[in-house]
Amino acid sequence: MLDVTDLVTAYGKIEALKGVSLQVEGGKITCLLGPNGAGKTTLMMTIAGVLQPRRGSIRLKGAELAGLSPARIVSQGVALVPENRLVFPHMSVYENLLAGAYQRHDKAGVNADIERMYARFPQLHERSEQMAGTLSGGEQQMLAVARALMSQPRLLLMDEPSLGLAPLIVAEIFNIIAELNRDGTTIFLVEQNAHMALQVAHQFFLMEQGRITFKGTPGQLAEDEVIQRAYLGTRRAAG
Amino acid sequence: MDDYLIGVLSNIGVISFIALSAYVLLLTGEISFGQQAFFAIGAYAAGIATALWGWPLAAAIVWGAAIGAGSAILVGVPTLRLHGLYFAIATLAFAEMVRILFELLRYQVLIDGEWVGPNGADGFRNIRYIFENDISSLQFMILIYAVLVATLSMFLLLERSRLGVIFRMIGEDETLAGLQGISVARHKVLAAGIGGALAGIGGGLYAHLTTYIEPRSFDVMLGVHSLAYGLIGGLGTAFGPLLGVLIDIGLLEAIRALAGYRMIIFGGLVAILLIIRPRGLLDEKLVHKIGRMWRLILPRGGRVKLGPSGEKI
Amino acid sequence: MIDLVQNTIDGVMIGSSYGLLALGFTLIFGVMRRLNLSYGPSIMIGGYVGTVLYVQYGAGPLAVAGTMILGAAIAGIYVERLCFAPMRMGAGIASMVSSFAIWMQLEQAAILVLPRHTYPFPPLTTGAPLEWGPFLLRLDHLIMLGCALGLTAAIQFALYRTRFGLALRAIIGNPVAAHLVGINVSVAVMLAFAAASAIGGVAGFLVLSVDQQVTPMFGMWATLKGLIAMMIGGLGSIPGAILGGLLLGVVEAHCQWYFGPQIRDLAAYIVLFVFLLVHPGGLLGRAPGSDIAAPRTP
Repeated sequence: MLDVTDLVTAYGKIEALKGVSLQVEGGKITCLLGPNGAGKTTLMMTIAGVLQPRRGSIRLKGAELAGLSPARIVSQGVALVPENRLVFPHMSVYENLLAGAYQRHDKAGVNADIERMYARFPQLHERSEQMAGTLSGGEQQMLAVARALMSQPRLLLMDEPSLGLAPLIVAEIFNIIAELNRDGTTIFLVEQNAHMALQVAHQFFLMEQGRITFKGTPGQLAEDEVIQRAYLGTRRAAG
Repeated sequence: MDDYLIGVLSNIGVISFIALSAYVLLLTGEISFGQQAFFAIGAYAAGIATALWGWPLAAAIVWGAAIGAGSAILVGVPTLRLHGLYFAIATLAFAEMVRILFELLRYQVLIDGEWVGPNGADGFRNIRYIFENDISSLQFMILIYAVLVATLSMFLLLERSRLGVIFRMIGEDETLAGLQGISVARHKVLAAGIGGALAGIGGGLYAHLTTYIEPRSFDVMLGVHSLAYGLIGGLGTAFGPLLGVLIDIGLLEAIRALAGYRMIIFGGLVAILLIIRPRGLLDEKLVHKIGRMWRLILPRGGRVKLGPSGEKI
Repeated sequence: MIDLVQNTIDGVMIGSSYGLLALGFTLIFGVMRRLNLSYGPSIMIGGYVGTVLYVQYGAGPLAVAGTMILGAAIAGIYVERLCFAPMRMGAGIASMVSSFAIWMQLEQAAILVLPRHTYPFPPLTTGAPLEWGPFLLRLDHLIMLGCALGLTAAIQFALYRTRFGLALRAIIGNPVAAHLVGINVSVAVMLAFAAASAIGGVAGFLVLSVDQQVTPMFGMWATLKGLIAMMIGGLGSIPGAILGGLLLGVVEAHCQWYFGPQIRDLAAYIVLFVFLLVHPGGLLGRAPGSDIAAPRTP
């Protein structure tokens, strides 16, 4: 569904992505693993159009996304749940969801979708009039996911949804990810928590220093000794 | 040298002091819209000292600098608890208060049958020290530049010193500097004091250069200009603000054919320059590069080697 | 006692125009977190377009108002495209200094086109003032107050009840996230700038039509009054901007009456200075340090 080819993104002279190629299959959960500073967030921001790539292409079902504005990319059906959630702190939960549907003009559909989000995330329903900045970390993460879903994406990008959350909440988030996927959303996930990712993802990529260094299924991932040691060992790798 | 050239060059020299004064605070990351207040205070203090009290010029300039520094510290202590825009607006308010107070200040003494001294909004006429002592405008220009060179040398030494590094650290990241055990508040007040002294010197020279000062000359325009000089010339070195002054007053004033269009061209150029180089012509990167080349050209030995950020190795 | 009340009435009326100036300023600051020093000069340019229309073609006040507001908005867009849009994140001072450079440019452009120092401006109304007991209410002052209150209500409505308002509040809250939900941030910011300058244009028109003249210095005057009122009211607060303007107007009116123009200006700066030292958040703003009102240090 998503084809990234030879993507280069740079900050000044420093290339954060040095020719990244990967594929995300429709209807599946694809997970990108890698240490801090590998360029994972840069990749996500480039796909979402917030950063402009220097070279390479990003194709969604054959249509080129590279060079488009973030707004155009949203309208193509790609939504990113950013790292650290980035909810709108001084807007209510309801308004955050409304902002997520910014490009949609079908009022009835938007209202129905907000109701659907409330049904899926009951905490958000309870807090619908509360300022998003006052929510707990887990609630903000759910809000960020719900906000992204409001644009009815074909492809949902998620950048470290488990970051800074308590283990129970992380488990809940991953349940939601699996559920969304079962309902038909394609998901491309960046994660450092390889254990959790192994339970839901169908396909893995490993990124190190701006390059893809491994591609495989959960089975292959679990067998790879190096990855075993770095990401699945008893001690978590230096994050 | 013709009088016009001397006039322009003297003006550049004097304005350089207030540009440097705004630059010291920029180093610590604070924007001041109010350095013209200390320039005005220095001008009035030094003018009063020579014209009314009969002091020699050197003493008057030092006095102007001291009063400038003192008042800058006095205002700096409460205002530097504020940051960013809040500090900038507080300095603006203070400077405007000072300007209006000078509009109200009447302190005149009868000297040789003539009333001399500040006369409110009408200004302060007849600061005639350089006429009375037969100092030619060329000599006074040389004096201005001698003081400027001396000040600049001290300033460059300061930039290389521990204190300069501390100022830049505070400017880069105040919280981080604080965590390193640096007393941020005290260093900022110190920077404000240095800025006040620089502006005070400039003001004292300005008063004697023009022989006539009026509160209106020390308005917000002067303050924002002096802030802009650092940004235009570059924040990487003390030569930056001087370059800014040179470009504005020197280059554009000199091309008299541009008379009516000067600001239209200048404004547009500055806007475009700041898009390309948001930290000015001589920004930190360029200064660093020049420094490296300089060390390559110079023969080894005899010079203190400097590390990448200017610290001694 | 009569003076006291009459001065307060006049202060409130004039203050409402300060409030409007502050309103435009606040809107720009909220969206950009940067100071637009060219705010007043953009309004002044609008005023010059207005006076040309009035002097050369004898246009009536409404036509002058319309062109002035449009002129201010276009000048605002020019400033935004040149000083704010191309600047990268973190180049806050560069934007500010750049907007100062454009201030110089606009001022000189005005002088170049109309070299005399002052130009006439049409009065809004020549009707006799209303008498209310011993007090006088000038009609143009009443219109000023009405416009200020009406526009504030309209802006509050636009910000909290419209799609564009939602987009602006999203940008104020988190610009990156605003991109991610599909808001065209660049266009929205430009429109906000234009709207803010247009609000300034309304304020400027009202002030100029009371003064019945325009000078190039009006730009600096508008920037300073707007800035003072905005800071007194509290950075980032819309009702605060209006309240700050009213307070500034009342203080000025009393000081003008009892002590003259110099003390009037001095008092305005003293109020501002004391507010900044004692209560930098102003009347209604959030205290500095809380995320929304905190200006980014360069």
